[in-house]
Amino acid sequence: MTDRRRINGPAAATIPPFFEDAGLQELKSAKVRSRPPNVIRKMYLKTGVTPSASGSAYLEIETSAKPGVSGLKLSCSVHGPRSLPRSSPFSPHIVLSTHVKYAPFATKQRRGYLRDPSERDLSIHLEAALRGAIIADRWPKSGVDIIISIIEGDQDRETSKSQGEEVWDMMNALSGCITVASAALADAGIDCVDTVAGGVAALVQDAEDASTPSIVVDPIPSEHEKVLAACCIAYLPTRDEVTNLWFRGDLPASDMELYTSLVEKGVQASKYANRVLVECLSETVG
Amino acid sequence: MTTPGLSFTRPVFAKLSPHPYLLRNLSPSSPGARPARTNGRAPQEARPVHINASSLSHAHGSALVRTGDTTVICGVRGEILPVERIPQYRPLDIRKRHQDEGGEGAVEAAVGRGELKDYDLLVPNIELATGSAPQFLPGVPPTPLAQTLSTRVYSLLHATGLVEAADLRIWYDHSKAKGEEREDTNMGEQEEEEERVEGKEERVVAYWVLYIDLLFVSFDGNPFDAAWAAVVAALRDTKLPVARWDLDREMVVCSRTESRKLHVKGLPVACSAAVFMEKEQAEAGTAVGEGRHWILLDPDRLEESLCREMITMVVDCSDGETRIKHIEKQGGTVLGRELIRGYAGVAEGRWKEIRGAMK
Repeated sequence: MTDRRRINGPAAATIPPFFEDAGLQELKSAKVRSRPPNVIRKMYLKTGVTPSASGSAYLEIETSAKPGVSGLKLSCSVHGPRSLPRSSPFSPHIVLSTHVKYAPFATKQRRGYLRDPSERDLSIHLEAALRGAIIADRWPKSGVDIIISIIEGDQDRETSKSQGEEVWDMMNALSGCITVASAALADAGIDCVDTVAGGVAALVQDAEDASTPSIVVDPIPSEHEKVLAACCIAYLPTRDEVTNLWFRGDLPASDMELYTSLVEKGVQASKYANRVLVECLSETVG
Repeated sequence: MTTPGLSFTRPVFAKLSPHPYLLRNLSPSSPGARPARTNGRAPQEARPVHINASSLSHAHGSALVRTGDTTVICGVRGEILPVERIPQYRPLDIRKRHQDEGGEGAVEAAVGRGELKDYDLLVPNIELATGSAPQFLPGVPPTPLAQTLSTRVYSLLHATGLVEAADLRIWYDHSKAKGEEREDTNMGEQEEEEERVEGKEERVVAYWVLYIDLLFVSFDGNPFDAAWAAVVAALRDTKLPVARWDLDREMVVCSRTESRKLHVKGLPVACSAAVFMEKEQAEAGTAVGEGRHWILLDPDRLEESLCREMITMVVDCSDGETRIKHIEKQGGTVLGRELIRGYAGVAEGRWKEIRGAMK
């Protein structure tokens, strides 16, 4: 059953372009991280991109020095607080609804217009991260919509073979989503206990030293041989609280220290992002 | 409307009684004041345009267009449609290839346009539900406005013949592949012979399908002009990789390094305006043709909600003289033949602005 409200194109499925392998080898060899392990990429944050919304923000993470790797580009708009429809039940708190959607041209493969499970997953994690920051009981019986469009995903264009890396890309996308949504919420004037920002840390294995995995912040999967585990953290710096923690990968259960240090690094990455966020917001307010 | 004791700020008036507010702005009581719209523009003044091409890395071509508070991003992506998947495929005449490459005949252009339409090679879609304005929230099917806009872009793409079918064909050239095959033994030669018998030395093996996706980041009136400018700018930016038919793998393989720029014919520019009537919409129906009217170029969201009559003209002045490619008018009876003729001049001015922004 095709969506008759959109223009669907040819009835038969089309094939994304398949590239010949020549020249792939030289690109593969350049798997080197261009930054020190505890430095995140530069980001650009701006509020007020959608004037008709109550709050909005745009986040862009710097493109890596390597050609073909795109940075993350996110646009977020916040609508509300507004009264809930009459049919909805009474709520003593503000009702958050988050919506994350990849643009059709955001990733290597063209995305459809209907939301897929990974986008729903991102929305749920984002909601959890923001719920801890908003002072929800100031707006009973009202709702707020937070909508994020991922204009460009954080993906390597060249590594066509590596499957399963989307998971790690999603981590980076989520941390960007948290930061941009926090900026948009502040722009909308919705009271929060603190600015929440996202940070990612990962346990990676590089080709040269296969025996000793190391922890890096803000990983780009294509810069490392293998990502073993990663966690995305939403952190409130002045309260020293974590509102959302998303961990993925496999670590030995016995090694608790590795786990805590991974979380610590994630918190550190989030603090860096928060600095950018606060600077951007103080510019607009001042 | 003027209540001397009570003083509201301008935005409050605009919200409370938008129609009288805009009317007062357009016909100021003091003779010295310049008639202006609520947004400070003169009636036939458009918002400045900013166009930023090739800002996306995953798309084959992209453009960001900003006119005032309306921002739209367009990404063009090519995907391959093998001919065996096309249900009613009619093989092309081989001679046509050389004719297309040589001179452009009117007949060939018409055949090409037929291909584009029959095989549905252009797929434009507009997404408004990105929170671009309070009335467009996600989680619902596309609104009637989004559907109308997509369809208008679709029909205008085919009507203007912006993209040529010749650019989207992927050929299998047997004579070029022959060199590689000669190294093979009898098997290869046999195949070669078979193909010669069938007369299939050159044939189209696949087509590129262009997915043109538009995403509104911010919406403040006049979506069609911005969307169309984004489509044209993105198509002019599009570079498709060079594709060839791989005989061994029996599939289309693209080159990593080589790419070819899409040939875009002309530079059609859409120019929209709304007609604002002195009388409000409800009473205008009773006394048609009465009262003053203003033609507001490039209307914003407030003005669009107050106007019933809209006109969109698509002009192309790229070959020296102004050519009207398309006129679309809906609602109301104010715009007659003379006014539309005069409007072509306004559209010409808009064309120059957009051409300036595209460079």
